[in-house]
Amino acid sequence: MTLTIASSIDDIIAALAAGARPIAGGTDLVVGSRQGKGSLPDSLIAIDRVEALGVIDRGDAETRLGAGVTHARLMTEPTIVDHFTAIADAAALVGSPATRNVGTVGGNVMNGSPAMDTGSPLVVLGAQAELTNASGSRLVSLDELWVGPGTTSAAPDELCTALVIPNMGEGGGSAYVRLEYRRAMEIAIVGAAAAVTLDGDNVRSIRVALTAVAPTILEVTGLDDLVGKPLDDDALSAVAAAASEQASPISDLRASDRYRRHTIGVMARRAADAAARRASGEDISVPVNRALGVGATA
Amino acid sequence: MAITDLPEFVRADGPDKVTGSGRYTADMTLTGQLVAKFKYAGVPSARVTKLDVTAARAIPGVFAVLTQDDVPDVRYSYGIADRTLFVKDVVRFDGEVVAAVAAINDKIAQQALDAIVFEYDELPAVTDLEAAIADGSPLVHADLDAYEVTGDTPHYGNVGTHSSIEMGDVDAALASADHVISSRFLADASHATPIEPRSVIAQWEGERVTVWTSTQVPFDARAGVSETLEVPSNRVRIVAPHVGGGFGGKCGAHFEPHIAALAKAAKRPVKLVFSRWEEFVAPDRRRESMVIDVTTGVMNDGTIVARTGNILLDNGAYMADSSFFPQAAAMHVAGPYVIPNVKIDARLVYTNHQPSGSVRAPTAPQGCWAVESHTDEIAATIGMDALDFRRKNIVTTGSVGAVGQTYDEIGLDQCLEKAAASAGWGQELPEGEALGISVGWWPSFHAPAGAYAKMHGDGAVQIITGASECGTGSVMTLRMLAADELGIDETSIELIYQDTGAAPSGPGSSGSMTLFNHGRAVERASRQISDQLKELAATQLEANVDDIVLANGVASVAGTPSASVPIVELAGASEDGELLGSASTEALEWPEIVGSSCLGDQGFASWMAPQFSCHVARVRVDKDTGVTRVLEVHAAHDSGTIINPMAAHGQVEGGILMGIGQALTEGTQYDDSGRQRNAGLLEYKLQTIADAPKISTEFVEIYTPNAGPKGAKGLAEAPNVATCGAINNAIANAIGTRLNQLPMTAERVWNAIEGEVE
Ligand SMILES: Cc1cc2nc3c(=O)[nH]c(=O)nc-3n(C[C@H](O)[C@H](O)[C@H](O)COP(=O)(O)OP(=O)(O)OC[C@H]3O[C@@H](n4cnc5c(N)ncnc54)[C@H](O)[C@@H]3O)c2cc1C
Repeated sequence: MTLTIASSIDDIIAALAAGARPIAGGTDLVVGSRQGKGSLPDSLIAIDRVEALGVIDRGDAETRLGAGVTHARLMTEPTIVDHFTAIADAAALVGSPATRNVGTVGGNVMNGSPAMDTGSPLVVLGAQAELTNASGSRLVSLDELWVGPGTTSAAPDELCTALVIPNMGEGGGSAYVRLEYRRAMEIAIVGAAAAVTLDGDNVRSIRVALTAVAPTILEVTGLDDLVGKPLDDDALSAVAAAASEQASPISDLRASDRYRRHTIGVMARRAADAAARRASGEDISVPVNRALGVGATA
Repeated sequence: MAITDLPEFVRADGPDKVTGSGRYTADMTLTGQLVAKFKYAGVPSARVTKLDVTAARAIPGVFAVLTQDDVPDVRYSYGIADRTLFVKDVVRFDGEVVAAVAAINDKIAQQALDAIVFEYDELPAVTDLEAAIADGSPLVHADLDAYEVTGDTPHYGNVGTHSSIEMGDVDAALASADHVISSRFLADASHATPIEPRSVIAQWEGERVTVWTSTQVPFDARAGVSETLEVPSNRVRIVAPHVGGGFGGKCGAHFEPHIAALAKAAKRPVKLVFSRWEEFVAPDRRRESMVIDVTTGVMNDGTIVARTGNILLDNGAYMADSSFFPQAAAMHVAGPYVIPNVKIDARLVYTNHQPSGSVRAPTAPQGCWAVESHTDEIAATIGMDALDFRRKNIVTTGSVGAVGQTYDEIGLDQCLEKAAASAGWGQELPEGEALGISVGWWPSFHAPAGAYAKMHGDGAVQIITGASECGTGSVMTLRMLAADELGIDETSIELIYQDTGAAPSGPGSSGSMTLFNHGRAVERASRQISDQLKELAATQLEANVDDIVLANGVASVAGTPSASVPIVELAGASEDGELLGSASTEALEWPEIVGSSCLGDQGFASWMAPQFSCHVARVRVDKDTGVTRVLEVHAAHDSGTIINPMAAHGQVEGGILMGIGQALTEGTQYDDSGRQRNAGLLEYKLQTIADAPKISTEFVEIYTPNAGPKGAKGLAEAPNVATCGAINNAIANAIGTRLNQLPMTAERVWNAIEGEVE
């Protein structure tokens, strides 16, 4: 096995073209292979020291979030906390301080787990993945990127260089909440993200996406009826009902499908509520799970 | 007391452990060392049809492959000698060792395992406790009657030990009771889960073997090697480097014999390091699952008149050290209450699960959880406050408990009041929050233990003790006792411990026995030196020996402080070059019990220096999801005199956190055939430090005669007893309905809220 430390994006692209696999924080790749999910690839290219992958660049219309940005930065960078709060909510819940200090958003996204915490926030914020290889870069929507549990449509020689997220206008807010049985080292049993923009008291737009209840992150559809009205208790109940209905959860050691179907509704309602409250200017600190005691965990 | 108010006490092993410079068994490497790996049965119940290791032995780089045919044909276990080192003809749990390999490296060891031919016919697996005791159940041990049995161990069918407590006339008392309340509880199995998975290294020099191992009980490990490999105990030396936690899981002899046998056959040192999965499935120490039926008769004024109980405990495939579990469980279902009429039956049931064995206060957290939940049900039935009901019924100084033991001065009533007051019992709480209360108890145990003490010519002191330090801090406390006897600073005392080649024997770190027993031995051995110092000082100072006082490094004459001599000088003046002390514990008296009869008595009926506790938990339940968070635990403990307050607080806090895990998230899940489904830390959810609630601890310090040094009782297990019960009662108070299954996972709480019972 060889491990090469890249110092530029070009280094990485060349190594990928030669058959290497990227390793960022290694918190999925290495831990997964130790748990028997397959042996480590013969050739690894370490991408964590490439500064160009660590940028957070807020432009006029969109923000580029480098794939190498760690969870520890996501949860504290003002750009993310102020404008893409759901991502900060999610990053703050990942693993432990050690996991957050090395684990990256690119690794989270490219690992393709349906339980990835930054997944549903990125979906509701309309992010696209920027994939780069020797012949150039392309932007891919996340629902095209994630094709099944642990699999993406990216070619083996493609590096995720960034997540590109449209800036939310005034009156926008987002939030991510997840069900957790303990306050650290937890894996989402279910989770939900919401992004809401308001016109005064009324909903201008709402997107909700679900974590760990389908083979990939699942965006809830059919919420158009909520537009133009306040996000009141009835509206939140409609969000919860749609989430529970559209989820296709499994039963496993962590929870039964029945419990997951119920709690995904609860999470979706709470995410939508927190997003709307943030949209209306309320300061709910990151992460929502601690600020509002989701799952009694505050 | 706030932690900052405590006297500063720096553990001698602390800097090593917190800086990472400490060496654990897995950190050691011996020249020429081989890697050990085990072949596990991988099937819970089967008859072996073929076991052939020829091909494995032929692989270059493989130095030894052993099966039961290669070791003495010895059956062992406490109570009933029911197991062999390796599978012999019949497999009884999936983590049972079929063969052991020693090879030059991991990869070749794995190849050897893969080359072992192991064939079997699967047998029906016994996994359900009630089915296991029904007529016609398959037997886990068809030859049970042929095994050697020690102690009062009534056994039959799949029942390993049947114990009962009987006092008074329960039928008549129940008939006369105003209310009769019955409850049923199910507790899942759980694990000790030390953070350090075990590791063993063995090396032979001639006919003598040294084994380095992460054990809590070096002398038990020595006995295990000696018994199963038929080597005299003086040729077996067990050394435990730092131990990274045990919680009972590292009691008993585990794999020391296997590795010693491998090293002998391979003629090389051999090292075993467990993976986390192995740590879950292979040891014969797991916390037993239980089925508890309890019925209590009570009068309108809250007086308990009778209790019956029926308890089934999952023994798993082999006895390990569990023969006393039924009696211990029966005591917990009786509880620390005055109950004149009692009949409790408890049966330890063989199944095809991993064997159960001592885990911190074995049977107590489950038994206490059940009976304390039941106690709240009784109080609710008669409309009495849960605290008042306990005030009325708990044992106090001079009262007679449920087995006819009369208690000397005890402080359970004070524990109850202190914990309740600290928690603000009765206060209004926000929606979704509630308090729950539970009392608990646990015995102290006398065991023979020895100690040597040496004061060298330069005044430096060594205490050589058979005690073991698995993290409790109690070995560290031994220095305080010696320092007190010798009148010197504890930092000038070095401990030699965890080495059977150096120290006199003792129970090690098990059963809250370290300070209780080893402490008394250390005090007595040190006193022999202080006696000699006083003689030397009396001569030098021309004073009466009875007037010599040793303090602050100086021997002086009482009342004449100017007449003094430094202790260092006295040590140098000894004609022997050094001062020696050697002592064992004096036997303590077992308290008498009157008026009860106990079948299957395993020494758990009368409790020496019983420890008492009360925990009040404050929880918040998210009613939409069932997720419960413990916000506060208010603990009050009667463990007699507290010698080392900082260590004592640490024990209580650790015990509570462990109890919260057992209460909320830690439970072993099995498939239908008896295999563990969550044998890993991702799916077996321990509490993290981020989950720790605010814990306030108070000690009710009562000098206790016929107990440990300076009137101390045990303390390591007691804090693990009452937490689960307090949490269940708090959950019930928050959601208005009671759970009857442990752990009380979020989904189970939600099911209870929804009115669904599993
Ligand atoms: C203890 C622990 C707790 C955890 N808790 C959580 C949690 O709470 N929530 C959660 O979502 N996850 C959790 N994880 C999983 C993991 O930490 C995250 O998914 C993390 O974001 C992965 O990032 P990484 O940089 O470590 O990825 P790596 O392991 O380095 O890579 C993961 C995969 O992505 C590929 N890859 C990495 N970067 C790129 C790139 N730029 N372009 C293309 N492919 C790439 C790698 O080849 C590999 O296949 C946990 C992991 C551990 C060990």
